[in-house]
Amino acid sequence: MDVMARNNVHVSGRGDRAMVFAHGFGCDQNMWRFVAPEFESEFKVVLFDHVGAGGSDLSAYDKSKYSTLHGYADDLAEIGSALGLTDAIFVGHSVSAMIGVLASIKAPELFGRMVLVGPSARYIDDGDYVGGFTEKQIAELLEFLEDNHMGWSAAMAPSIMGNPDRPELAEELTNSFCRTDPEIAKAFARVTFTSDNRSDLPKVTVPTLILQCSEDIIASEEVGKFVRSRIPGSEIVFLKATGHCPNLSAPAEVVSAIRAYV
Amino acid sequence: MSEPGSDDYRDLFENAPCGYLTIGPDGRITKVNATLASWTGFAPDRFVGQRLHQFLNMAGRIYYETHIAPLLRMQGSFNEFALDFETAAGERLPVIANAVERRDADGGVLFTALVVIKATDRRRYERQLVDSRSELQKGLTSERETAELREQFIAVLGHDLRNPLAAISAGARILQRSGALQNQKELRVLDMINSTVTRMSDLIDNILDFARGRLGGGITLHRAMRPLEPVLEQVVDELRTASPQRAIDTRFEIVEPVNCDHTRIGQLASNLIGNALTHGARDMPVRVGAKTNGDEFEFWVANVGEPIPEAAMERLFEPFFRGDVRNSRQGLGLGLHIASQIAQAHGGRIAVTSTPEETRFVFSMPLATTAPN
Repeated sequence: MDVMARNNVHVSGRGDRAMVFAHGFGCDQNMWRFVAPEFESEFKVVLFDHVGAGGSDLSAYDKSKYSTLHGYADDLAEIGSALGLTDAIFVGHSVSAMIGVLASIKAPELFGRMVLVGPSARYIDDGDYVGGFTEKQIAELLEFLEDNHMGWSAAMAPSIMGNPDRPELAEELTNSFCRTDPEIAKAFARVTFTSDNRSDLPKVTVPTLILQCSEDIIASEEVGKFVRSRIPGSEIVFLKATGHCPNLSAPAEVVSAIRAYV
Repeated sequence: MSEPGSDDYRDLFENAPCGYLTIGPDGRITKVNATLASWTGFAPDRFVGQRLHQFLNMAGRIYYETHIAPLLRMQGSFNEFALDFETAAGERLPVIANAVERRDADGGVLFTALVVIKATDRRRYERQLVDSRSELQKGLTSERETAELREQFIAVLGHDLRNPLAAISAGARILQRSGALQNQKELRVLDMINSTVTRMSDLIDNILDFARGRLGGGITLHRAMRPLEPVLEQVVDELRTASPQRAIDTRFEIVEPVNCDHTRIGQLASNLIGNALTHGARDMPVRVGAKTNGDEFEFWVANVGEPIPEAAMERLFEPFFRGDVRNSRQGLGLGLHIASQIAQAHGGRIAVTSTPEETRFVFSMPLATTAPN
């Protein structure tokens, strides 16, 4: 299994220390396009797509493996080991924050620091715990995803998967950053929004920074503070950026927060 | 025709048959037109200063944050996405929307424009399509699984039936050799056991071939050029032993070598003759013939008896087809199917004619000596 091809891994930049960027649910490694290049002068920058997203090898998508976040965390650890990374800086957005947490527990030498952007240990409310969503709302989301096929159709799929470098397909490739096989999108949404990693947080031994956006409906301030309270020795920085994707809406603020921490 | 004035543009903006909405660089709504305000039941000033997601249902909110907002930043526009607004009355307003980011020279966002088309019927229709497709897929998957299980079952069954049969056959052989059985009645029982074992063994061969054919292996041939006549003679002898009270007349004129799988052609012959013995008149002989004529090999089996009904003709070679289910002597209904598969594998075919005078199956295949396979 070629891990580099499977996860569409791209390595760039100068520097001995690696900085690994992991995208969240929805799109692919392009989510880091305004952030990652800023670190190329000092770090070895590693970008990748989760299997099922972006330019990953869709034939590697295994329903049962990816039915929990552990499948994704194993991949992340494998990428790290394929590149021989130790003491790297992990930057994970959204669900990838928890994927990084799991990977760091599995392979404690892999990361020396973690930056979690908009993390949530559990999206669905549970007793006193406020995740922000009810089970019913998540069920509605899974159904709603089928209404947005993102231009994905059975007829298009072969050209998307088989010819990523053919420029004549460029026009058809609109939305490609977020285009996913609807079945995989639904499965990734399910594993993302039904996961519960609250009990994993105390096992983290890596110094961790949480970047918390304001007015983020996916991962609220309360949720971010919960993560901060459970990861030993973690810090939290509140960004002025609003929404769930500060890596796109306020890249400069994200870059300076990461830079200040590492 | 005069140029439209600003009043005309304002009217077009406000009362266009679609909703307009603009969002400032801080993510807050700056303008909304009268059409969208009336569709949602909120006054226009209820929108201004709010975030779009506040007017969407939860699924739409998550989707907007995880897909639409990032895509707008990455590619500047996003067309034809589905969204659900929540109206003042708490109802769902399904729409299709396009959005575009207006940017300044440095790529900074000036504002985001959103156009919204009401799409209740279309969205319902699409949802039904999605639902029915997944229903169909579910059905298809379960059909496939059932078929696969059935064929695996047949394969296992065929295999498991061989062992006890081999034991019976070996037992009968021991009795025969020991000379322990002397009187005619006992010897007839022994003959019956032997013929039943032969028949049973043929049935199992057919089952296994059928299962293999269906499991994707198909019928594989091991062609050779040795004489075919002894094989056919042996098949007829076995069937004569199995049905001592029936007459089988043969007429073999094989003058050219036949490049074929001898075991398979023997199986084909056995199936066709067995079929004639089952369905033919008891008091009339079954006639069997084989000949070569230049470029073709022909093997035929004819019997007198009730003709095959017109309706049954078309389905004669289908698996598990049985003319009359009440007749317990008919077996599984695989014999003719397998025979036709063997014929096809040899590049040949089986033709049938059936009249009150005679029912005749004719297998013919080309005598291509250099045939592949």
